[in-house]
Amino acid sequence: MTPTTDGADAMRSAIEACARQDQSALKHILEVEGGRLLGVAQRMLRRRDLAEEAVQDTFVQIWRKAHQFSAESGSARAWIYAILRNRCLTILRDGQRLSTMGAEDLAAIQDARQYLAASEAWRGLGGGALRDCLAQLDQPARQSILLAYVAGFTHGEIAVIQKVPLGTAKSWVRRGLAALRGCLS
Amino acid sequence: MTDDLDLMADEYVLGLLDELAERRFEKRLATDSALRDSLARSRERFLALDLTVPEQIGAVTLWPGIEASLTPEVAIAAEPEPPVVAPPEAEAPRRRPLRSYLPAGAAAAAGLVVGAFIASQTLQPDPVVIAVLLSDQGVPQAVVEDFGNENARVRFVADVAVPEGQVMEVWTLPSLEMGPVSLGLLEAAAPRTLDGPELPRPLAGQLYEITIEQEGGSPTGRPTGPILAKGFAALQG
Repeated sequence: MTPTTDGADAMRSAIEACARQDQSALKHILEVEGGRLLGVAQRMLRRRDLAEEAVQDTFVQIWRKAHQFSAESGSARAWIYAILRNRCLTILRDGQRLSTMGAEDLAAIQDARQYLAASEAWRGLGGGALRDCLAQLDQPARQSILLAYVAGFTHGEIAVIQKVPLGTAKSWVRRGLAALRGCLS
Repeated sequence: MTDDLDLMADEYVLGLLDELAERRFEKRLATDSALRDSLARSRERFLALDLTVPEQIGAVTLWPGIEASLTPEVAIAAEPEPPVVAPPEAEAPRRRPLRSYLPAGAAAAAGLVVGAFIASQTLQPDPVVIAVLLSDQGVPQAVVEDFGNENARVRFVADVAVPEGQVMEVWTLPSLEMGPVSLGLLEAAAPRTLDGPELPRPLAGQLYEITIEQEGGSPTGRPTGPILAKGFAALQG
């Protein structure tokens, strides 16, 4: 499921059209990527209403910041998904937001993120270079990276989940990231 | 050295940098093209994890809500323009970007209604514009009447708590060239007439905003603190 060159160019053109105030281009991006963006948000936030909020906010940000996107930003899709991911992390870390949820809700969300999100993503990867390189990592390093990227956990949370000291979790992540960079370059 | 940059970029993408490191990273992106390249590579590396997620249905139903939020405003930035590559949530501390679920038209209509009520209650000259300032949840917090003669009156329509040692500062954006201009400070959420600087006559759709600043107001002459509420002016009469 890698984007074709045509697809990548089309997404770039759509963002450039947004910068020219073309709302139909933004709607097009929603039609093409919205389902996946919702999926990523839902996987991290575990609640449809929060995921919808994150996606809605993302599209407003795409619109406002389209003029900032340029060739050196990398691919258009990576730019869009980065906006979404940051929105999700902000929602996750917004203490005010989470404090309005009941204890049972919070626990359920935490469990789902912990046990489902990372494994769903790993199984869903199918083939490809990232999959191959992640497979070459030792399990603790791979799991730590997936917990961070897919579920949005912090170093401290990963340490608790993996039942290791904070320093160990950090070094697992660093080791895994270095190995991935080497494998994928 | 390159390894350090690449690691920083990876950890940023994974959301693992602490708040301070994150802010430093985003600030550095503005001037460090090697770091921007590293960030772009890092994002591409992990993108496959996102692209292989099962698609959810119903994304297009979000369009009306998105469309309603696409007002042609220019947000008053609370910090320098974020770097080219970094997404716009480069905001510190982590707070939700402002969004209004009230379509711009409805907020302006609210301003007209409020204006008619206020004018009927006071002997003051009519304001040139009235702006209903909304929280990021779209809930009205304050009303600003700008009289166009250096005076602006602010009333609060919700309970607003100002943290100890901080003040509210009221801003308006007369034009892009002028940038945000302070109309004055408010210690508490009580009605107050502000004696502001001489400015061009306020226009329909002009942006008004209240931020929380340190005691004495923003040290830079631009908003530096979080946005309490914002809104767009409705022309009166």
